[in-house]
Amino acid sequence: MAVIEENPGYKWVGTRPIRPDGLEKITGKAQFGADSILPGMLYGSVVRSPHAHARILSIDMSVAKSMPGVKAVITSADFPDLALNGGSAGDIDMSNNVMARAKVLYEGHVVAAVAANTREQAKAAADAVIVNYEVLPHVLTVDEAMADNAPLLHDGMYTKGIDPKPEKPSNVASRVVHERGDLDKGFAEADLVIEREYTTKPVHQGYIEPHAAVADANSDGRAHIWCSSQGHFQMRAHTATVLGVSPGTIKVTAAEIGGGFGGKTVVYLEPLAVRLSQRAGRPVKLVMDRDEVFRASGPTSGTRIKVKMGVTNEGQLTAADVWMGYEAGAFSGSPVGAAGMTVIACYDIPNFFVEGFDVVVNKPRVAAYRAPGAPMAAFAVETVMDELARGINIDPIDLRLQNAVVEGTQASYGPKFPRIGFVETLEAIKNHPQYTAELGPNQGRGVAAGFWFNAGMNSSATVHINENGTATVVVGSPDIGGSRQSMALMAAEELGISYENIKPVVADTETVGFNDVTGGSRVTLATGAAVVDACRVITADLRARAAKTWDVEIDDVEWVDGQAQHVDGSQPPLSLADLAGKSGRTGGPISATASLNARGVGAAFSTQLCDVEVDPETGITRVIRYVSAQDAGRAISPAYVEGQMQGGVAQGIGWALNEEYIHNSSGVMENASFLDYRIPVASDLPMIDTVIVEVPNPAHPYGVRGVGEVGIVPPMAAVANAISDAAGVRMKDLPMSPVKLLEALNEKGK
Amino acid sequence: MARVHLSAGLRDLTGGVANIEIEASTVGRLIKSLDQMFPGIGSRLSEGSSVAINGEILTDAEYEKIPASAEIHFLDILQGG
Amino acid sequence: MKYASPSSVEEATGVLAGALSAQVFAGATDVVPQIRAGRKQPEILVDLKGIKELLNVSNEATHWRVGAATPTARLTENSDFSSEFPGLSEAAGLIGSDQIQNRSSLGGNLCNGSPAADSVPAMVVNGVRAVVAGGSGSRTVPVSEIVTGPGKTSLADDEFIVEFEIDHMPAHTGDAYLRLIPRTEMDIAVVGVGVRVTLDDVGMVSAADIVLGAVAPTVVRVPEAEAALVGNQINDEILATVSAAASEACNPIDDKRGTIAYRKQVAGVLAKRAVLLAAERAAERNGDAK
Repeated sequence: MAVIEENPGYKWVGTRPIRPDGLEKITGKAQFGADSILPGMLYGSVVRSPHAHARILSIDMSVAKSMPGVKAVITSADFPDLALNGGSAGDIDMSNNVMARAKVLYEGHVVAAVAANTREQAKAAADAVIVNYEVLPHVLTVDEAMADNAPLLHDGMYTKGIDPKPEKPSNVASRVVHERGDLDKGFAEADLVIEREYTTKPVHQGYIEPHAAVADANSDGRAHIWCSSQGHFQMRAHTATVLGVSPGTIKVTAAEIGGGFGGKTVVYLEPLAVRLSQRAGRPVKLVMDRDEVFRASGPTSGTRIKVKMGVTNEGQLTAADVWMGYEAGAFSGSPVGAAGMTVIACYDIPNFFVEGFDVVVNKPRVAAYRAPGAPMAAFAVETVMDELARGINIDPIDLRLQNAVVEGTQASYGPKFPRIGFVETLEAIKNHPQYTAELGPNQGRGVAAGFWFNAGMNSSATVHINENGTATVVVGSPDIGGSRQSMALMAAEELGISYENIKPVVADTETVGFNDVTGGSRVTLATGAAVVDACRVITADLRARAAKTWDVEIDDVEWVDGQAQHVDGSQPPLSLADLAGKSGRTGGPISATASLNARGVGAAFSTQLCDVEVDPETGITRVIRYVSAQDAGRAISPAYVEGQMQGGVAQGIGWALNEEYIHNSSGVMENASFLDYRIPVASDLPMIDTVIVEVPNPAHPYGVRGVGEVGIVPPMAAVANAISDAAGVRMKDLPMSPVKLLEALNEKGK
Repeated sequence: MARVHLSAGLRDLTGGVANIEIEASTVGRLIKSLDQMFPGIGSRLSEGSSVAINGEILTDAEYEKIPASAEIHFLDILQGG
Repeated sequence: MKYASPSSVEEATGVLAGALSAQVFAGATDVVPQIRAGRKQPEILVDLKGIKELLNVSNEATHWRVGAATPTARLTENSDFSSEFPGLSEAAGLIGSDQIQNRSSLGGNLCNGSPAADSVPAMVVNGVRAVVAGGSGSRTVPVSEIVTGPGKTSLADDEFIVEFEIDHMPAHTGDAYLRLIPRTEMDIAVVGVGVRVTLDDVGMVSAADIVLGAVAPTVVRVPEAEAALVGNQINDEILATVSAAASEACNPIDDKRGTIAYRKQVAGVLAKRAVLLAAERAAERNGDAK
């Protein structure tokens, strides 16, 4: 279902053709990260720390080196120490995460790697590496890490953002603050104040395809890497940094990707594979198994969040006080900054104080996960909003409508909002049939909203016209959510030729200009803008060629529906095929490239409605109905937009009900498999209905707003509010698993 | 004249100043002027921020021209997923 | 690692007797992941699917004969079998997933020895017998005597299960198997309850079997709950006694799937629900099955 605002009659944009990658993925021909095979290829295996926190005293590779089939062994001694080379703090952390130097900081942290003729030989050699550790005490949560006298992960960590600068180091990397107005005055004006505390656990992005890379390196340092990622230019840059070489010496070919969700914007295996390949003189394949993916690739932060909000009896929010502690994992860099900016971004609140802390703990370094930082913050605020609405007897959507940000509202993070579609998503839910569907016994309904900035950043694209008038669109953005189709649709619209005649291609780092990551919900906007620009250069060129052909002025020529037409109709039109077939006579091959740092980013809002049934005797929650309304600006490819919306909801439901990292007291992960790390299976979810609201972004040629991320922001709160409605208990700790829900129900029954 | 809003996180360097009117032709020059007034603020803004000019959020904005009477906010750099 | 594919019971027994460490398998849905994870490293893998008795399913005069290696999908899709033993059929149908069931077998599910195996409580309440072949000949034992602990069976090194004998369901008797898992499919039982009851003409319980799974190292019978039912009509008071007895009979562990308290409480809830379901089916079955 879509609520469309003045579609100007697009021919291709907004349609639902067959996706370009479908046939290969369904028949198994698609080449993912682990599918590359090269002659003479070796297999790598990684040695990982069994301890959550320890000093590395010694590493003995002698046995491993002499085992059958082993061709290379590496440790941190094989990588430059960026701390000595003036590397930035971020680069030093990244390098230390790829391979530990003096200390291991989490169970699973890389200590060494080997390459051998077969997988079994590599694994046996890795098992034969002898590492001596001095085990150190560890911290696993925000509370433990922030406690007085907590063991420290980094001796030189002095909290940034605190005035005056702390005298002693700690596990708190930084503090962020946003404030406005007078908090005390705001709470004094409120008729109802709700104050609650929440915790969430680390959850993994859960991509089905584990990390994998094949590297073929020469002794002179040049290397070719095949890997799936959310940005092969990013992989090139990070790999070059860790290896201490120029990015120009590395070529990266993007494989198909089996999910990323933010977690594949990070290098893990690529630098190891290149270095092993250099040492061995043969290509090396490194693939993580699922156990390694859980233990050693970034989940997102576990958190503790305290929220206090005040509202008048008439429904006016007066004040908000938020405290957030976010786990960064072993190195600083949790998404607490974005959390601080999004937590109350949906509402116009005159008095607030938002404070957040980036806290290191002995767990894998967190990586981005779909709207990083925002979902946990929304879980807290959107459940408090529900309690406020019930407390003053106002419909929960009406409470949000009354306080919603609109065009011109000053955002909690500073600037004024341009044209946005939040109110439209609230109204779409209020008008949806699910809002008034009948609920049976033990069933309940909850609503929640969310916000995400989206991004612009750098993209390059090239469009080539083939000699028969068909076209190739070459981009450098790996396709994780349907971007190949939306690029082809926009090119079809611009050039005026059929989508079927356009082939979208993701090229390697040597064959297309620089591109930032595929993430941040930026590709349809930014890479799309580059494709549109390239197409507009081509259509201008085509008009010039037609003018040359007809010997008229270019101003007499228009490009309409895929043809050059003379403004007074005095010439028979020239199609793209006509001009392409004779392009040599009018100046040569027809092709254009555009590179840009995209502007005009439009933010996204989502409102979602969840119906659940709770079994009061077992604590099992089943989601029985769900609808998500999201402002997509303009849905270039509606089928893919719906997929992104449903995907965000599916992940949010898993996060709400069952997903969590479980560590034992030694800091070892206990549930590193999909059996006990419970993401939803297909039968766990109802059909997730979607409403694509279109309030076009005025700053983009097609009105695009990013859609990939905001959908994961509201679901945990929507589910929690529905559980409260169904069972009368307010869950404040994620996940709301059956064990915890039954405990809460038992407490309530007392 | 640009009106620059300085977030709470920068107040330790600005001595509590939250808003300031400054004349500057580009974002880079604006940051330099701010750094002269509030030493140390320059590196924080260049390394760790995006900038919003009249509501539009931009990255790598050093040479971006500042229109007359612009509203300027500095924001933490964000990562998407 | 060696591989053998015997085509007769005698041949298989011979291979097992001559091996240092052998692992028999049918669908290998547990064995392959265990070998991949390094938890089992047998010298020889013995594929039992070449022996026709192990794949035979026959509906005989007094009992069903089900080959130990028969894919469970064949049982759940057999409408005669699943209408006579809905509980056992549903239990077999909960192993893994639809795809897994094209490979999994009752023999494998039993002999893997997992405390949470879904088919075992339902097999025990239905009095299923295992026909065991080995070097010293053939013997028939109740299924409840096969598993002795997590991952352990009472089978000798040269023994394996050939087939199961399941006596036809008597009149006025019904079975049920319920389990609790956090998701809806593809999960491991946190609590499993198998129940079989027989009702007399006035709806009084004349026989009851209640067996719990996943709440102790092996399945656990609940004689106190059975005694509470026999000779009585099923009412709320009796069911409360059944629940309490089931909770009490549990000897579970605290693990990442559930706490002790949760398992005890839910065992009580599922026992009550399974009794009601089995009784409903018993009331519907007027004559002996054939």
